[in-house]
Amino acid sequence: MAKTITVGSLESSDCMITLKEGTGNVHIKSVVAAAFYDHIETLVRRVLKTHEVRNVDLTLEDRGALDYAIEARLIAAIKRYKGDANG
Amino acid sequence: MARSFLFIPGNVPRMLQNMDVFEADAVIIDFEDSVSVSEKEDARLLTERFLSNHEVSVDVYIRINADKALMKADLNAIDSLPIAGIVLPKASPETLNVFEFLNENKPCHVIALIETPIAFFKFEEMATHACIKGFFLGGVDLMHALGGTLCSQSLLYPRSKLLMAARAHNLYAIDTPWTSTDEAALTRDAKEAAALGFDAKAAIHPNQVHPINQAFMPSQTRIEEAKRIVAMHEKNGSMRFSLDGQMIDKPVIEHAKTLLKKVRTYQSGGENDV
Repeated sequence: MAKTITVGSLESSDCMITLKEGTGNVHIKSVVAAAFYDHIETLVRRVLKTHEVRNVDLTLEDRGALDYAIEARLIAAIKRYKGDANG
Repeated sequence: MARSFLFIPGNVPRMLQNMDVFEADAVIIDFEDSVSVSEKEDARLLTERFLSNHEVSVDVYIRINADKALMKADLNAIDSLPIAGIVLPKASPETLNVFEFLNENKPCHVIALIETPIAFFKFEEMATHACIKGFFLGGVDLMHALGGTLCSQSLLYPRSKLLMAARAHNLYAIDTPWTSTDEAALTRDAKEAAALGFDAKAAIHPNQVHPINQAFMPSQTRIEEAKRIVAMHEKNGSMRFSLDGQMIDKPVIEHAKTLLKKVRTYQSGGENDV
């Protein structure tokens, strides 16, 4: 069965990120998409590349998270996906 | 010189990024009790990413986990962060020794959370540790261990003993958080802690910060009295004189100076000396 990892929350200033086996699709749903969709997509693709993550589909549901929160949640998701999260 | 230490869960972005609007003199980002095991790494990453990319105007402490494996991961995650210190839960001489292995080039400030009965018999060993900066009473866990309930009467002995140990070694003394949402009860409790001599009290909700700050702020009457004592001392150069029928000597003068220093600090928004 394909692995699916979800981290984060739908509280204000946070985001929920889901990673599952796929082909590199990035799907973003954000309350600030009109102004920041491209910025958020660039950010998540950069983090995925930095952590050498391929063959996953990413879904990000954003509630106004700042860059640091998106980055932290995504790194947490990647670590969990790779199975090396430490407690 | 902080009056209020506000706990903020390390895994909640809206609390992290608003930490300096709650008017607490210091915040404690929590990796321990308020963060579930599955969210520990998220808390570390959120805190590391936030503090690495944002300047804050409040002193930041981090409460790490007591569990050895989690503690090691916590310390690795916060090693390079601009924090004022670490709050060590379930503090003991043994757990304090962990800090001897940290980077010697970086000052290490540890506030020991005293929340087990055995810790009350280890103050001397802990107080002389190079990293120790203060003692912090963890009343909830302590009462759980004692089988008691958190109230003024049950806290009197732990508070007194902790305060005595802190003062004997010139360390900071922080009082336990108050768990009720009753603001009047919190105010009474905070005033009791301030009257005993505690420097500060912990808050577990932003709404508790203002009552705590008020309780630890000396009254206008005490401020005016201290100003008159210091003014008369500076005018006469005397260490012993009479004021309004009261004998004033060196301890009273020193107390008045300390009180005025605290007031200046509180009014200026705090400084980095705890």
